[in-house]
Amino acid sequence: MADKPIVGEKRAFMTGNEAVTWAALAAGAHIMYGYPITPQNEIMHYWTRMAPKYDRGFLQTEDELSAGFTCIGGVLAGKRAFTGTAGPGTILMQEPLSMAEMMRIPMVTVICQRGGPSTATVIYSQQETRLTCFGGNGEGYRLVYSTAGQQDLFDYTIKAFNVAWKYRFPTFILSDGYQSKMREPLTIYDPEERGIKMVETEPLLGGTGIPGVDRDPRHLRNTYNMEDELYQVVMDMDQEYKRIAPEVVEYKAMETEDAELVLVAHGIVSRATEGAVRVLREQGYRVGHFRPITLRPFPGEALKEAVAKARRVLVVESSMGQLAGMVKEELYDLSVPVTGYFRPGEGITAEEVVEQVRGR
Amino acid sequence: MHNKSEVSHINGKDVPVVEAYVGEYAGGKSENAVNRALSLLERGRQVTLVDLDLVEPFYTLRPLKQKLEKTGLEVLTWQTDETIGLGEAGYPLRPDIRWALRRQHDIIIDSGYGVEGAKTLNLLEGASQHPYLQVLAVINISRPVTGTVENIIAYVQSLGRVTGLINNTHLGDETTVAVVQEGAKVVTGAAKKLGLPVVATSAVEDIGVRLGTADCMGNPVRKIKRYMPEAFW
Repeated sequence: MADKPIVGEKRAFMTGNEAVTWAALAAGAHIMYGYPITPQNEIMHYWTRMAPKYDRGFLQTEDELSAGFTCIGGVLAGKRAFTGTAGPGTILMQEPLSMAEMMRIPMVTVICQRGGPSTATVIYSQQETRLTCFGGNGEGYRLVYSTAGQQDLFDYTIKAFNVAWKYRFPTFILSDGYQSKMREPLTIYDPEERGIKMVETEPLLGGTGIPGVDRDPRHLRNTYNMEDELYQVVMDMDQEYKRIAPEVVEYKAMETEDAELVLVAHGIVSRATEGAVRVLREQGYRVGHFRPITLRPFPGEALKEAVAKARRVLVVESSMGQLAGMVKEELYDLSVPVTGYFRPGEGITAEEVVEQVRGR
Repeated sequence: MHNKSEVSHINGKDVPVVEAYVGEYAGGKSENAVNRALSLLERGRQVTLVDLDLVEPFYTLRPLKQKLEKTGLEVLTWQTDETIGLGEAGYPLRPDIRWALRRQHDIIIDSGYGVEGAKTLNLLEGASQHPYLQVLAVINISRPVTGTVENIIAYVQSLGRVTGLINNTHLGDETTVAVVQEGAKVVTGAAKKLGLPVVATSAVEDIGVRLGTADCMGNPVRKIKRYMPEAFW
């Protein structure tokens, strides 16, 4: 058996899907469950190539429903387990993901967004934003990191395992087809050598000793009899989610102090909007940028601060207002108008954003 | 400018250049294939470039077809609008690709990635008996899977028939001469143990100029232009 997958730090050149795989290996993920779908496939391809070398497991299931449920099973057995999917697969996976929410299962899911609705394109979009954050028949008690490139994918995939096991909410890496397929350099590293300690996993079922005698019994439920019973469970979960939110939220604000216009974008689109801000600043425009890194929980307070002096907010996204909806909810009691530049299923360049801002 | 020794003659007779580029995903197969085809074309040779990537809906030669054909290169690939459900539905093999190796002039083949990609060469009629077919594995040591001598050896041995290696080590926009030279050392080390030649080190123009005609291991340098960023879809 080979030693650690990554020793020390190394500058490497790879696609986003490979970055996810290397991060999962470096984070000590024990097993991946999955079903093929573009543009997620190479996560599985690379994982299945590397897993035997490092004594990790893989199970290809018959569909995404099974991939999600078997992933839950892996976690119940105490495995640092993950899955990945895209598009129609993300839809199918909502049932196990809802179960994970209800039972507080720390599973990690990588979503590689493609065009929608339905099969649509295998290429790219940000149309799975709402589905990833709020899919299922619950309240969206999920932790969602929206990444913007290879370094992010590597860093946040490692982080996702720790956050999931620390807080026990299903955790997501929200990537997209562009990030999956594009190639750029990044630094890969062994988390331990950077002082990142992986949170220990433990079996959620089948622990040692007699329940109620040697240890507290653990009763994982996703079924309740009475309305009041369920109400209490959801309210407790809500309270816990709100309690941890300030510890979890992440964002990046750029040049917002004196900004008259604040651009808001997440994921890969933020690369274009940040680029646009740099160009526009050089041309004398007072433009700032706000990127929520966690979409769930959403960094609402930080956003309010970032737009405090703004006369306008422009949300830029490759979907028809899925992010804008979240932004508007956070800014509801402010008077600043929120408008959008929406390109569902299509990439957005810095030049386009510059054009949008200057054209107004 | 061009390395004459890269084109062979037998008994004074010009031998067609027939090369398939195989290797890792995002390892540089397509970029090297396109550049090789164009450099042969510049020497006045007749060249057909074959897109044998049946796997990958992204970053294939398809989006470059029209641009490349304006140079006089013949590119055998589907046009995007001739296809439906790329990456989702099956990808039929074009008849002109299936029979491409029957052509008498230079043929450059861009195969799909990995072991399965290398196997697709078998779909071409006459591939196993072709007298001139060279199978070149494109290696970038900045990719961990092919980052060391041992890993390269294991990887190349998994690909089936390979007749030579190409050192295509780079770090995208962060590439330096030192990065490429380190690649030359590691790839040459692996090639020696495999008993294979390093056919070339390839590098983008400005790095290539600084490398000179040969890298630090004496391998010929091919200067390449980047076409694939335009081929995302």
